[in-house]
Amino acid sequence: MTEKFCGFLWGVLFGTAGITLLSSKDAKKAYTHVTAAVLRGKDDVVKKATILRENCEDIYADANDINEKRAEAEEAKIIADARRIVEEADSRKAAAET
Amino acid sequence: MKCRILHESNHRMRLHIMRYRMTLGQADILEYYLKDKDFVQSVKVYDRTGDVVVKYAGKSQRDQIVAAMASFSYEDRKALALVPDHTGRALSRQYEDRLWLTVLGKGFRTLFFPRPLEIAWTIAQSVRYIYRGIRCLLHGRIEVPVLDASAITASMLRGDFSTAGSVMFLLGIGDLLEEWTRRKSIDDLARSMSLKVDRVWLKTDGEDVQVPIGNVKAGDHVVIRTSEVVPLDGKVIEGDAMVNQSSMTGEPVPVAKHVGGVVFAGTVVESGECVIEVTKESGFGKYDQIVRMIEDSEKLKSATETKAYHMADRLVPYSLIGTGVSYLITRNPDRALSFLMVDFSCALKLSMPLAVLSAIREAGDHDISVKGGKFMEAVAGADTIVFDKTGTLTHATPRLEKIYTFDGMDEMDALKVAACLEEHFPHSVANAVVEEAKKRGIEHREMHTKVQYVVAHGIASLIDDKKVIIGSHHFVFEDEGATVNEAERERFDSIPDRYSLLYMAYDGRVKAVLCIADPVREEAPAVIDALHELGISKICMMTGDSERTARAVAKQLKLDEFYAEVLPEDKAGFIRKEHEEGRKVIMVGDGINDTPALSEADAGIAISAGAAIAQEVADITIKADDLWRIAALRSLSMALMRRINRNYRTIISFNMLLIALGVAGVLAPATSALLHNGSTILIGLHSMTDLEKGEQTHPA
Repeated sequence: MTEKFCGFLWGVLFGTAGITLLSSKDAKKAYTHVTAAVLRGKDDVVKKATILRENCEDIYADANDINEKRAEAEEAKIIADARRIVEEADSRKAAAET
Repeated sequence: MKCRILHESNHRMRLHIMRYRMTLGQADILEYYLKDKDFVQSVKVYDRTGDVVVKYAGKSQRDQIVAAMASFSYEDRKALALVPDHTGRALSRQYEDRLWLTVLGKGFRTLFFPRPLEIAWTIAQSVRYIYRGIRCLLHGRIEVPVLDASAITASMLRGDFSTAGSVMFLLGIGDLLEEWTRRKSIDDLARSMSLKVDRVWLKTDGEDVQVPIGNVKAGDHVVIRTSEVVPLDGKVIEGDAMVNQSSMTGEPVPVAKHVGGVVFAGTVVESGECVIEVTKESGFGKYDQIVRMIEDSEKLKSATETKAYHMADRLVPYSLIGTGVSYLITRNPDRALSFLMVDFSCALKLSMPLAVLSAIREAGDHDISVKGGKFMEAVAGADTIVFDKTGTLTHATPRLEKIYTFDGMDEMDALKVAACLEEHFPHSVANAVVEEAKKRGIEHREMHTKVQYVVAHGIASLIDDKKVIIGSHHFVFEDEGATVNEAERERFDSIPDRYSLLYMAYDGRVKAVLCIADPVREEAPAVIDALHELGISKICMMTGDSERTARAVAKQLKLDEFYAEVLPEDKAGFIRKEHEEGRKVIMVGDGINDTPALSEADAGIAISAGAAIAQEVADITIKADDLWRIAALRSLSMALMRRINRNYRTIISFNMLLIALGVAGVLAPATSALLHNGSTILIGLHSMTDLEKGEQTHPA
């Protein structure tokens, strides 16, 4: 019984003084500062995420470069092999003709 | 500007601008400054961190970039001038922030909110979705909002607030992504369409002078001729014109404008000409006008998208019935609920527009400006393609190689008169004449009176009260009845075949023949072969030019069909005939005489260096320098259709699997909701990736 009465009193307090307090100019200033802080926090998080993203892009680009270099080296080797075979065949043919 | 190199590799450098912060405006200035340098291959500026990533070809360019960065400043006048009024940066930032706030907010609430607060928040959030669902029902429709609302309500009634919360979170993310992509695509499209720097004919005392549009003030008088786009809002003070206002009002029938009538920027003068008094200067109108036009038009939705939307909506009643039936069969609310949790609709509705809009964006990266998903669909499904010759298959600027004069006419005089008349019209042959006159240093003041352009035939005017005409053989000899000096007949007949010929006659006598060489673009034969390989069975050319030149070009390019001495209406007529045979047609053109065909075709492609009216009427605009873009467009469109079909199949099969598992009791409703919404987002994000990875390698 007393609980319910206490609850009623809390409600009255909230409805009168509470609301006035929560919507006063000072409270509004407090909300503004809190919001500004939250937004700063958000910007900070996003900035760190962007740095992370940039670093990942660096890694990705460099990895691609490494693979590209290896592929080119392999390719050059194959061409070198083919050229060697052709040259050997030519020299053998020249030797056979003489 | 003080910078620090954060990371460097062979072709890529990442620098940090050593300032406390970088505003969006500053980021844009830096981006456009670097993009302008030709030793830079690509630039990305991250405004949040103040970093810039530059890609370049090799060592020597690297040093140039370092030098450019050292000498850069945010006050650089030239860089400031390069930045357009609207870059996409602010829009991207706005949506990125919203996305982050949504995700971070959800994370915070999940971790820190006590249960009563979580319940209160979830109920508060659900109000929006329930309201939408009820409103839908009140309209007598059972569609997606109803399904979403029932899924959320059902979860809350069971006390499962975290599932309801996660469903709403994922729906919210989906909505945000869709809105973002849509706005970004409209923004990109509007930007590319409004970027053209226009020049207008300003009427000063006595003469008409061509000035950049930015120099025109309110109260100035501007001359607008046939086929020109009205550059600024104004009031007609002289002349009569038929104006096509479809870009503003949508009505395809041209409206007559007389003295006192009002004309709007962006509309097109189809015939006649007039002088207007400018009422509003440039700067504001065009971008916003285009955005409005695109948002209003149905052009954005392709047939497949609309089909997907309707299918999604039609499935909703079946989902609800399925829920009821599975409850009756299994007597288990959990299992029945999985029917509600998994709906094909939101997956289809999210991924289809994302795929289409992303494809349009990717086309934009290739300098192809597509006005709607419908047209990419048409390009993918086409089996016939019709090319215009001059300016499309051949270069935009053919060259005037020789002038044969008759009847005692002086060559320089002939060229002067010709250039004087031709400079008023945006036809590539006209450009050749004007170019040659400029090269030979001929100055020509306006010596003629009112110039009259007869579409596809030629130009007529009066000099000293006698009629002077320039045009095709048909126009000069058959329409106007000019005659050749008989004594010079032999010389006349000996003019070589390989040129396109422009005849000039004064007072009924042929005075000069201008020989225009119109070389075919180098990449044209290879592009034609590529198009054949990509599945286009009939490649035709239609030109107003003579039979001889047309035949030569057709043979060189191995075209399937060609038609010469064609009138504009015939081009449209040919396309109509193809439609009757059930074939889909792409038309590629650049001039005024292509506009009926461009409207008639399923997909009309205009070359950006051509007439403004062609670009207004066309569905797709391609930058002028490379025909390969057409082949790229075709393969991109086909890739888009493949992606849409794959999305369809994946969504339907995956979701059916989820329903089956849910009804069988293997998955709890919360899990199936999570899997469904998660897969939706993933498919949506995947649809936004590039259709064709990497650089386009083609024999160039």
